[in-house]
This record gives sequence, structure tokens and C-alpha cells, in this order.
Amino acid sequence: MRTILILIKKEFLQVFRNPLLLSILIVAPMVQFMIFPFCADYEIKVLDIAFIDHDGSSVSKDIINSFNASDIFVSHGIIHNKKEADKMLQHDKVDIIVEFPSHFEQDLMNGDATRIAITANAINTTKAGIGVGYTQEIIGGYMQQFQEKHMFVTEEEQIPSRLNLSYIYWYNEQMNYKNLIVPGILVILVTLIGCYVTALNLVREKEIGTIEQVNVTPIRRWQFLIGKMIPFWILGMAEFILGIFIMKIVFGITVQGSFPMLLGITAIYLFVMLGLGFFISSVSENQLQAMFIVLFLFIIFVLLSGLFTPTEGMPQWAHHINWLNPMSFYMTVIKKVVLKGSAFISVQKETLILSIMAVLVNTGAILSYQEKSK
Amino acid sequence: MNSIEVEHLTKKFGDFIAVNDISFQVREGEIFGFLGANGAGKTTAIKMMSGLLQPTSGTAMVAGYNVVTQSKLIKRNIGYMSQRFSLYNDLTVFENMQLFGTIYKIPRRELKERIMDSLARLDMTKQANLLVNSIPLGWKQKLAFATAILHKPKIVFLDEPTSGVDPIVRREFWNLIYETASTGVTILVTTHYMDEAEYCHRISIMADGVIRLLGTPDELKKQVGVNTINDVFVEYVKH
Repeated sequence: MRTILILIKKEFLQVFRNPLLLSILIVAPMVQFMIFPFCADYEIKVLDIAFIDHDGSSVSKDIINSFNASDIFVSHGIIHNKKEADKMLQHDKVDIIVEFPSHFEQDLMNGDATRIAITANAINTTKAGIGVGYTQEIIGGYMQQFQEKHMFVTEEEQIPSRLNLSYIYWYNEQMNYKNLIVPGILVILVTLIGCYVTALNLVREKEIGTIEQVNVTPIRRWQFLIGKMIPFWILGMAEFILGIFIMKIVFGITVQGSFPMLLGITAIYLFVMLGLGFFISSVSENQLQAMFIVLFLFIIFVLLSGLFTPTEGMPQWAHHINWLNPMSFYMTVIKKVVLKGSAFISVQKETLILSIMAVLVNTGAILSYQEKSK
Repeated sequence: MNSIEVEHLTKKFGDFIAVNDISFQVREGEIFGFLGANGAGKTTAIKMMSGLLQPTSGTAMVAGYNVVTQSKLIKRNIGYMSQRFSLYNDLTVFENMQLFGTIYKIPRRELKERIMDSLARLDMTKQANLLVNSIPLGWKQKLAFATAILHKPKIVFLDEPTSGVDPIVRREFWNLIYETASTGVTILVTTHYMDEAEYCHRISIMADGVIRLLGTPDELKKQVGVNTINDVFVEYVKH
């Protein structure tokens, strides 16, 4: 016990004497929270639109006016030829181009088929998708009015008007992406502290040779690992609590579910990441190798975790791989507990899986560390 | 009484034989010089004797314990100072000694006394609370030695303890070694300084994983027919 305590003390002394590490631990979460949620924002507030009008009729002008009347669209006026329109799309000046064919009004009045072309810049697919949706909605709304006014159809004959869907987004009512991104950043933060810092820590001792002096003492391997794990576990938990505070103060997001339960599951998740960090550390020869392995895994974890893209849209094999991704389980827990206020029963599967992972990973870390030092 | 008994100790790394069937004994309280060119296998041999590395074949008894089966007991009874300085640079002098002293389970109050005693002997009392990376290399080496003997081991392995250190500190360092050996501690030391080899009670010269020569400095000089250990070394390692 005294051995482990002195190791914990040593580790803390080293952390607090390492200005770089300390600033990473304190500044990184601040910066991530302050910058990331504002950039990684899928909310569409402004769509730039331009029109090509081959018709020049009152109908096409009316439609263009109804775009001008909307809050979301910023009209860049009428463009005279397609080439110029393409150029504007290419240079990101506009997101959407609406093209009216010649004889548009005439065909419409005669009941002939006619077609409006909507071209969207799909570099940003989310923006394009949402933009096209809004465009259709505005044109569709206009067409409905037009039918009623000009086609003299009776109530019964009227083509069933487009179904007006009204959405209510539960748990994130304003469709505020910060509500999704911010808890996600909390996950990234805990993962980075857990995995990155520990992966670099043990291998650093190998690199500078201090581990040799420790190996020659009668200390047991698991004692040494626990002496390293506990300080970083405490740091990780402190980071998490700091993150929760920033989340509340800056974004006004409070934990809807039980906070002690959230802490408990975070504690388990941290052990998974610490174990993984030490495992990577014991198989790496130097800090550079460890860094590359962590980066490699981290990117896979993040992409599969459902932070940036919904997991539902992923192919089956990705779902299978996700069974090995601790981050995706933890992300589910965070989303459920922070945003929905779910009770333990709805995250018990994730908690169980994370616990099993924690045991496996840490056993692996101790074994591989023992193997290496023979 | 012998405190180290090495019998047919061998270590292979793949096809490479780092240590090839070496055998020798070191008596209690003896200062045993372990000489050899770079890559001769000295460090590998020391690592096997101190329980850091498992031998491929052969065996050794160190402080009465078998290196293959009782490495934990060996570690409790030896001190080790590695070729590379391996105390924590970002801890203070006192914190380093406290860390290792605690790992060796020296009782708290006694540990503090021992640290203060040994710092007084090194004339480093004033530096107790300085970070190790701020003190000069010579002092670091003396500190590493003091830390290695803090738990009063029966045997101390010193792997090139004086490389890169100025002549005055080297002299002081050897005084420490003599002082320690006089209390009955066995010292096994490797070095590239041939004047230091003359200070040893007995020396062995290793080349290509094999012990070529073993005896007191005078015996070896007489045997080879030269005047200095330096000449003995050059004569024997070049073959």
C-alpha cells in the first residue's frame, strides 16, 4: 500500500512539474469546448441562392419573390447564363441555383408538364440536402396557392395537397447541434486524457531509461501499473467534472439524468482507456510509435462512435466493428444520460460491456507489460 | 564465502550469442572489475545477474539466490546502477531517494534518517530539494550510487558508473566504492577506464561474450608480460 501511495505521489509530482502536460490538461478542454461546438455545427442558418430565369413571366418572378421573403435564403438575383451560374457554384458564392425553363408560365397554365431545375452545391452534403428541402418547400407552397387561384378546380377535384409534416425533435427541440456536439466533446476529452496521456507516460519512462531502475527493484508489475493508473484516473475524472461545468456555464446544458451514475460509468470508461493506453505503451518502443497507434485508433473510434455521423446510417460491418469500440458505447451513455435523462436500466447494457472491456484491456496491459520485461 | 557464483551462463538473442558460457565467482566484500570492449556482453551478463533478464541457459547464484527461480529475492538484496542515468530528472534529490527507499520497504522514519545520512556523506545536504536535472552529472552519479545502496544491499552492480565524469568526481566515486566494500558489500563494476581497473581486487576481461582473462591486476600483468592493465586489455581484446 505504501509502495502504491509513493508511486501515486511521484506521478502527481511529475505531472505538476511538467508545464506542457499541465497546460494540455487545462487548456485543451477549454479550447475544445470553446471552439469546436461553434465550428462543428450542422445547423443551416444561411443559404445563398441565385436564379436563372428563361421565362421572365409573372409566375417565375412571384416564386423568386417568395424566396426573397424567406429568412434563410439570401438571393443573389437573376443570372443570365448557365456558365456564370456554374462559376458561382464553383466559387462557393451560391449554394442553390433554381432554373426556370422558357414557357414555364404558359405550360403551367395549359396544364402541360414543366420542370424547374434545382442545382445544389453538394460539397457540404448536409447543407445541400437541407437546402434542396427548403427550396422544394417554398416552390411547393407557391404551387399549391397557384393551383387554388388559377386552375378553378373544385374542392373535391383538387389534387390532394402535399402532406404537411410537422416535426418535433425530442430531447433536442431546437435542433441545436451544440446539444449533440458538446457532450461528444466531453467523450473525446475523457478519451484523450485516458488513452493518450497514459500511452505516452509509460513509454517515456522506457525511452529515458528510468523504468530500468524500477524494474531492478522488487516492485511488482501490477503495483507499478496501478501506481500510474490511479493518478491518471483521478486527472481524467477531474477533467470530466471540469467539462461538465463548462458545458453548464457556457452552453447551458445540464445533465438530465443522475450525475453520480454518469460519474460511475465515466469511471469505468476511463479504466478502459487507461488500460488501452498502457497496453499501447507496453507494446511500443518509443513515444512516436505510441502516438501513432493512439491516433490511428482514436480516429476510428471517433468516426464510428456516432459523434459526427449517426451510427444508424452505417453499413452492417461497421456495426459489427463498433462492438469493439468502447467510445461508441460511452457516447450512447452520454447522449442518453446527459440529454434524455435516461435511468440506469436503459444504459445497463453499455455499462456491462464497458466493464467487461475494462477487465479485458487491463488484464492484457498487465500481461503484455510482464511479457515485455522478461 | 562467495556472494556471486556464475556457472555456464549463456544468453542468446536469436542467432546472436551475447554471453557465451561464462563461469566465475565473486567473494563477499570484493570489488570485482568487469572489463571488456563495447558489445562484449558485460551489460547483458549484469542484467542476468540482477534478475532483469532471464538466461538462455546456465545458472547463477546471487546473494544465495538462484537467478532463474528466485529473481524477486535477488532484487531485494542487490543494488543496481545502470549505464544510463536512470533516476527521475523531474523529481528532487530527496524525492528520488524517498521513492526508491519506499519501494524497498524501508520504514518511514528510518528512511528519512538514512537519506539525510547518505546526503551528508555525499556532501549534498544543501541540494536535497533541488530537481535532479539541475545538478551536474558527477553529482548525479554519486546520487545514483547512494540511492542504489540505500536499502543496504549485499551486492551492488555498477554499470560504467563513472563514464563522462571528471577525474576529481571519479576519485570521490571510488572512495565511495571502497567505503561501501569495507562494510562487507560486494561490488561488481564495469568500466572503460583502465586506471580504475587497477583499483579492483580482481578483474575479468570479456570479449565476444567470453571471459578471456581473470585474476588480480598484478597476476594479469605478469601473465601477459606487460606493465599496465591498459596493455593487458589491448593485448587481449584485439585477438
